[in-house]
Amino acid sequence: MPKFNVEGIQNVEVSKKFPCEKPPARQLEIMEQYTAMHQSCLDKPKELREIACLGVLYPTLFRNIAPGDLIAGRIDFLPIGFGSVTSEGGVGHYCVFKKLRTFQQQLDDAHKKRVDALYDYWLDHDLKTQFGKDVLTDDTTGMFIDCEFPMIATARLSGMMLDYPKLLSKGIDGLREEIGERSGKDTGNDFYKAALGCLDLFVACASYLQVNAREQMPHSSSKRQQELERIDKGLEKIKAGKPETFHEAMQLIWLYALLSGVINYGRLDDYLGPFLAGDLQAGRLTDEEAYRYVYSLWTMIENRRTTVNGRIVVGGKGRKHPQEADVFLHYAMKVAKNARYTEPQFTLRFDRDTSEEIWDAAFDALGAGATYPTLYNDEVNIPAVAYGMRIDEKAAEQYVPFGCTEFVIQGQSTGTPNICINLLKLLTIYMNRGIDPADGKYKADGVNIKPLGEYQTFEDFYSGYKALLDHYLDLSVRAQYYSYELMNKYVGFLFTSLLTDDCIARGKTLLNGGVRYLGGTNETYGNINTSDSLWSIRDLVFNRRKYTLKQLHEAMLANFSGYEIIRKDCLACDKYGNDLDTADDMANDLYEYVAKGVRERGIAIGMQYFLIVISNNQLNTEWGNHTAASPDGRLSGMYMNPANNPQGGANKSGPTALLNSLRKFNARYHAGSVQNIKFSPAMFNENRPVIKSLFKTYFNRGGCHLMVTVVDKGTLEDAVQHPEKYPDLIVRVSGFSAVFVDLSPNIQEELLSRVLYD
Amino acid sequence: MTDKSGRLPFVSIIEIERFAIHDGPGIRTVVFFQGCPLHCPWCSNPESQKRGTRLMHLEKRCVTCKQCINSCPNGLISFRDDKLVFKREACTACKTCARACPREAIRFSGEKAEIPYIMEIIKRDKEYYANSGGGVTFSGGEAFMQHRALTELLTRCKEEGIHTAVETSGQTRLENITEAYPLIDLLLYDIKHANKDVLHKVTGASLDTILANLDYAAGRDPNKIIIRIPVIPGFNFYTEEIASVFELARQRQIKEVHLLPFHTLGKDKYGQLGLSYTFPHNKMLTKEDLFPLQQMGESMGLHIPLNPFRSP
Repeated sequence: MPKFNVEGIQNVEVSKKFPCEKPPARQLEIMEQYTAMHQSCLDKPKELREIACLGVLYPTLFRNIAPGDLIAGRIDFLPIGFGSVTSEGGVGHYCVFKKLRTFQQQLDDAHKKRVDALYDYWLDHDLKTQFGKDVLTDDTTGMFIDCEFPMIATARLSGMMLDYPKLLSKGIDGLREEIGERSGKDTGNDFYKAALGCLDLFVACASYLQVNAREQMPHSSSKRQQELERIDKGLEKIKAGKPETFHEAMQLIWLYALLSGVINYGRLDDYLGPFLAGDLQAGRLTDEEAYRYVYSLWTMIENRRTTVNGRIVVGGKGRKHPQEADVFLHYAMKVAKNARYTEPQFTLRFDRDTSEEIWDAAFDALGAGATYPTLYNDEVNIPAVAYGMRIDEKAAEQYVPFGCTEFVIQGQSTGTPNICINLLKLLTIYMNRGIDPADGKYKADGVNIKPLGEYQTFEDFYSGYKALLDHYLDLSVRAQYYSYELMNKYVGFLFTSLLTDDCIARGKTLLNGGVRYLGGTNETYGNINTSDSLWSIRDLVFNRRKYTLKQLHEAMLANFSGYEIIRKDCLACDKYGNDLDTADDMANDLYEYVAKGVRERGIAIGMQYFLIVISNNQLNTEWGNHTAASPDGRLSGMYMNPANNPQGGANKSGPTALLNSLRKFNARYHAGSVQNIKFSPAMFNENRPVIKSLFKTYFNRGGCHLMVTVVDKGTLEDAVQHPEKYPDLIVRVSGFSAVFVDLSPNIQEELLSRVLYD
Repeated sequence: MTDKSGRLPFVSIIEIERFAIHDGPGIRTVVFFQGCPLHCPWCSNPESQKRGTRLMHLEKRCVTCKQCINSCPNGLISFRDDKLVFKREACTACKTCARACPREAIRFSGEKAEIPYIMEIIKRDKEYYANSGGGVTFSGGEAFMQHRALTELLTRCKEEGIHTAVETSGQTRLENITEAYPLIDLLLYDIKHANKDVLHKVTGASLDTILANLDYAAGRDPNKIIIRIPVIPGFNFYTEEIASVFELARQRQIKEVHLLPFHTLGKDKYGQLGLSYTFPHNKMLTKEDLFPLQQMGESMGLHIPLNPFRSP
């Protein structure tokens, strides 16, 4: 077994969670009960174990309805429990050991021992630890997020988007009936049994919250009493029947999402729009109330604090109720503009028919500094998704980005990115004959690498690098696939399975053959540093013969210290992002090699799709901090380029040139690629027609996506010095938005390095 | 258009700026020609005045590490009185010193570019021009100083269906104007002063030439012309002087005039080029300073946008 640290940090948590409402003693009790239940069910089928364990957590872990909430439902997470993703508790039956240790510190000695017992039990049963034992190695594959490895792998179920239309149209009783019909023919099916248990649990939670609402009424203002009454009645309604109002529909989706541990919401405009429009039309809601409802939803999503998730998607092709959906869309735009939250990640899908009114609303929000909506071009993405995922265009119309940008098909596919690969680290390892110059450890896993002096042509050099890449791509697909096998062995993800095609029809949980499209994603990092490095090598070593590979390598190993002129020559080589065919073609060549390689491996192993995503959270910086100097002139330890954008400051030819470079990657080979662009408020707001035509031209020419930050450079610099003055200054990191002053200095530095169009 | 040996002329340029939105409508690419017949003392692009590749030393970045001194193959850089001294007249612009400098404190400005190369860059943003009502602007320096190259570039742009603008001081021979005129969609025509003696004394320009050229263009289509007036304290920042220029526009049925407020953003470049900035005024003008002039122009029936080419 490799020596990995079970207490390692598992995910990016920029937004700080609320502390648990329950006192520590109670928390400990719950964790003990959970553990005991888990232990007692070890021999039971996973579905029955899961529902039994969920029954320990819920409704107990619900928090009190918060004063401003217009619908009910907030939950706490403990260091031990059940979940789908790392940002809400953990994955499967989980123990987050680091958090458990932190929790332990506040207890007295007697209680501390009780925690030790739990700790020891979960060492053998925490799903991610099990995955780590089986997959992680000492040299090639690290755990999320251990930046010393060229590749990191995890087990999680990120980015599920549930079939809410089904939930809304059937209601809980409708689901019960459907399961009932199926299970009648298949009486021994544990999934069906557990699924009915899930619906019972849902109802129990609704009742629990009703009690809470009623308890709060006597101490509340008359206005709040009315709101609580509405919550009470709404919960009563959705325990059985189909929702009829916007309130009930929101409540149903929300409570279900909480219990399933799903943190991305998808096309809420299309799902909720008809309820909202109906209420407005019937006079059940005023304009102001509607706005407050949407605002309240935004607040509750923000308060889940999932940092890189919380996707709400509006607009685009394939909506069943476009007119009503646009009613929701416009409220959402206003809320996104005014709320200044980092989540939800509010996303606009658009096509040629998207109205100027919607574009203007989007520009209003972006121009105000909201960083939302992020923009996805259906004209490009739908055909691309259809090809990439091997589905027809009709199905592809239901693509939704989650997390930092990865696509899934709402209610029909998995797409969790359980692998990340650092292409640049691999290049530095390759050039150093398998030894990572960052720490002197061998990480080539036996791949044969020639000494640098033996490469006669660039192609020769490049194919040697590709051989190392190939090896890692092999490792990546195996690790991804194994994460599904392992998760399937222990958990069913019952709530998620219930609302994912075709689990009920097949009588199978999600990863047991239930999900229609078993997809996955692979996050690649340092893409542009790597291609710029390859171009530098091609240009300086093989075209112009200015340096030998050895000289270049020597300079890199010295972090260019004493080799400043070589570094300047490296920096002066053409760089991606300037609309230069030299560097851009190199970038595209590497992109296609990696993207196709990943895709083909996914198909070969039996997945519907396995595609790269070029997104990032802040890993480009953190991984860069552990990556040696590179031939593009980047120094050792320096951040790497964000997503598929140029290295900060390398794009010097204006936004049209940048966008021309960005559009060159064919979108059909990836499942999401993040494009950032940054403007000063004066430039963005005083030139709207020009900026609009800039964006639209880019999109017409094949641009798939854009995320826009509107901020002054001076403001960012001042915020570094005086964070207290900027509590709500939001910036786009890449795959997510964050409050600038909450980011660590190295991330802030990377953001400041990016070109701002003024 | 080729020379006797059949070659296209090279163009001396300062830079090609993409996504330019201030020198004409929409999204534009601006080609800044090098070389100018005038010598306006407030000039904010002194590197554009004479043709050639020129060393610019950015003293603010310089840490006097002297690496440039050691690097110059001709020994043209020395260190005296705590300062770097460049023998600029002998510099061959080999750029070795710029490579050696660890702080990017040495740059070279001015390059000779081939017409196909310039066209290649221009063409890359064609769709942006088309969708934004933009195009290409040839500016300077004075673009007509290289009229053969200018005409060739204009011809090629028109072949591509690209909207063309030329920014000029009008200080050129009439035949250059007449040749290029049919290829130009918009003339941004600088008139700095209406008094020919003052104009000549300060800038070296000939008002007679400028007006004769303007007459030609305005006689064909005054709507293709926008008059631009750099508003300069101590020179023309007086109601009556600006009024006189407005009058010149009005007499020729030219409807739009832009006022360009004096700024000193180019001042540092003089030092970088080893030149001295002799213009005595330091205070930049603001939009507010231009309000009375704008009102006056509007009352004369002219259109004077204070944020030209921008949405309100």
